[in-house]
Amino acid sequence: MALLEIKNLHATVDDKPILNGLDLTIGGGEVHAIMGPNGSGKSTLSYVLSGRDGYEVTGGEVLFDGKNLLEMEADERAREGVFLAFQYPVEIPGVTSITFLRTAVNAVRQHHGESPFDAMDFVKYIREKAAGLNVSDDMLKRAVNTGFSGGEKKRMEILQMAALDPKLAILDETDSGLDIDALKVVAEGVNAMRSDERGLLVITHYQRLLDYIVPDHVHVLAKGRIVKSGGKELAHELEESGYAEFLEDAA
Amino acid sequence: MPDGSGHMQPYLDQALEGASNLVGSGVDWIDALRRAGADAYGTHGLPKRRDEYWRYTNLNALADEEFRLANGAPAIGLPSLPHKLVAELATYRVVVVNGRLRPDLCALDGLPDDVLVSGLEDLMAAAPARLEPYLGKIIRLDEMPMAALNTAFLRDGMAMFVGDRVVLDKPVHLISITAPGDRPLMVQPRHLVVLGKNASATLIETHITAEGGSSFNNIVAELHMDDGAKLNHFVFQEEAETSVHLSGTAVAMGADTTYDSFVLQSGGAIGRSEIHAYLNGTGGDCRLDGVYLASDKQVVDNTTFVEHAAPGCRSRQVYKGVLDGQSRGVFQGKVHVLRDAQQTDGHQLSRALLLSPRAEIDARPELEIYADDVKCSHGATAGELDDDSLFYLLSRGIPREDARRMLIEAFLSEAIAEIPLEQVAEDFTTHVRQWLANNVGSARGQD
Ligand SMILES: Nc1ncnc2c1ncn2[C@@H]1O[C@H](COP(=O)(O)OP(=O)(O)O)[C@@H](O)[C@H]1O
Ligand SMILES: [Mg+2]
Repeated sequence: MALLEIKNLHATVDDKPILNGLDLTIGGGEVHAIMGPNGSGKSTLSYVLSGRDGYEVTGGEVLFDGKNLLEMEADERAREGVFLAFQYPVEIPGVTSITFLRTAVNAVRQHHGESPFDAMDFVKYIREKAAGLNVSDDMLKRAVNTGFSGGEKKRMEILQMAALDPKLAILDETDSGLDIDALKVVAEGVNAMRSDERGLLVITHYQRLLDYIVPDHVHVLAKGRIVKSGGKELAHELEESGYAEFLEDAA
Repeated sequence: MPDGSGHMQPYLDQALEGASNLVGSGVDWIDALRRAGADAYGTHGLPKRRDEYWRYTNLNALADEEFRLANGAPAIGLPSLPHKLVAELATYRVVVVNGRLRPDLCALDGLPDDVLVSGLEDLMAAAPARLEPYLGKIIRLDEMPMAALNTAFLRDGMAMFVGDRVVLDKPVHLISITAPGDRPLMVQPRHLVVLGKNASATLIETHITAEGGSSFNNIVAELHMDDGAKLNHFVFQEEAETSVHLSGTAVAMGADTTYDSFVLQSGGAIGRSEIHAYLNGTGGDCRLDGVYLASDKQVVDNTTFVEHAAPGCRSRQVYKGVLDGQSRGVFQGKVHVLRDAQQTDGHQLSRALLLSPRAEIDARPELEIYADDVKCSHGATAGELDDDSLFYLLSRGIPREDARRMLIEAFLSEAIAEIPLEQVAEDFTTHVRQWLANNVGSARGQD
């Protein structure tokens, strides 16, 4: 059984069709990349999978570990093991990062019948994960993403992923706004999480990120559908040729 | 005093009935003050919609039901207080039940020389001359009809004098308990606080209601601050949902004074905090902050009037509230800068979070400026919880109710973080959490 099976998915935003019959299957241990022009529906796919309000599924189905993902609320999906690293992480003044992280991790742990971390144990747990990502104690004490630089925000996303230990991680343009050094730190963090069980869906506009997080499969999304799939070399082809042909083809 | 159609204004008869037997009657200035209150209220009556400061808060409940003036304090003991840290804090404790000081429940040992805390009534009998320079001197009866009514009843409440240069070592905790019986109860307390030159004090007020029927608490406080004085003032307004709580405070600020006020309101069918701050000397610094929480059909009103009469003063106001159910919030704030008050720095901000489609906020921040060299700003926002923030928390597995509570607490915490006394800040936070646990629970699908 595949980890994630998306079959003929249709979705609208404000009654506007964005996803138009999307098929995608991700097995455990696989890294898939989705590339596509701006506005092709990449972020929409990530939101539909993570259960954001306002993204209405009008057709098709999504199975996650064999369960109907679309029937679950957003928070339940996360506790079941779906993680989305946001293209634009949200600033939440007044909530410290450490409190936020602990609340999230404990919600997931309790969902799986594990006992919640107390404050002390959690600090130990999170420090270990944070070290490799250059996330300082100071960042953990600050309000969630508030006043963080682009790089800090993306590192915080990866830290959350590491802390929550999801089965499926969707990374939405994690490379956007990062310089090459920051990109490497983030990519290393992601690579450290590759495993035989975990599935990764890496969404990106540029091939650059895929030099560091090397995918098993690459798909091109245009006008809300997968229009081409291939191996990692497809990313390089796209870098050469651009997305123009898909925009015309799918029109 | 009948109104135009020959009717007596509500409650005036009760004020006039006993006036000649009240303590201090026969003392000319006290008689005159009570009469001035009765006259002003008699002309005006209960506030109406057309009154500038009463546009959004309707007091019909006071006309529909006849509340009777409390006579003496019932012999109840000190109830356990809702706020743990403040309750455990070393303080000078003043307990007022139905407006009357209860010496047996107070704890005033060790008050420094040159500090006096007393029942207003006792002082009116024993040393009215001490009160004369202050009592009634800064309440503008024509602008505050409910304070005028209070003045007609002048007797109950607390008086506190802090001498020049005295820095009070512990906060004064005024615990005000309304204990209604079977009949609708009215309380008309008047608190007077006088700080001498460079005196410094912290005043914490806790307002609670004991078991019983409905009540109407019409409180007036007069705060006189001589040059260089500093007052931290924290108020927990947590009366029962069967109570109408109206509080009017006037503070006269001398040169280089600091008045720092924080009001938490979550009680009452109607809860109103009205503060008039008069910046009369240069270098005054006035902070009026507040947080309010309302649910069901509660009305919570914060009304402020800051008058910059002297140059070089600063005023800051931040009021934040959370409104659930069919509750209504009111913020009316005016910063009035007189012609001579150059280099005024005045800001006010009202922010409300509406948790239910039937909750409502009326916010009217206002600047009235007659000086030309000033820095002033005002603003008001109202809205629902931010969708992006909520989804972010949900996407991390945090259950919806917990996520909503976290965001609401975060919204309020910025205001509470400004409170300089740690125990008070923590008790405020605890109170907010408790309120959230009681009110934002099975809200799934409601938003
Ligand atoms: N919240 C939204 N409201 C309205 N339109 C939206 C919203 N989100 C996305 N869209 C539209 O959906 C289309 C796909 O957007 P998106 O999924 O963000 O694309 P991508 O991530 O590939 O750049 C675009 O036309 C965009 O304008
Ligand atoms: Mg996008």
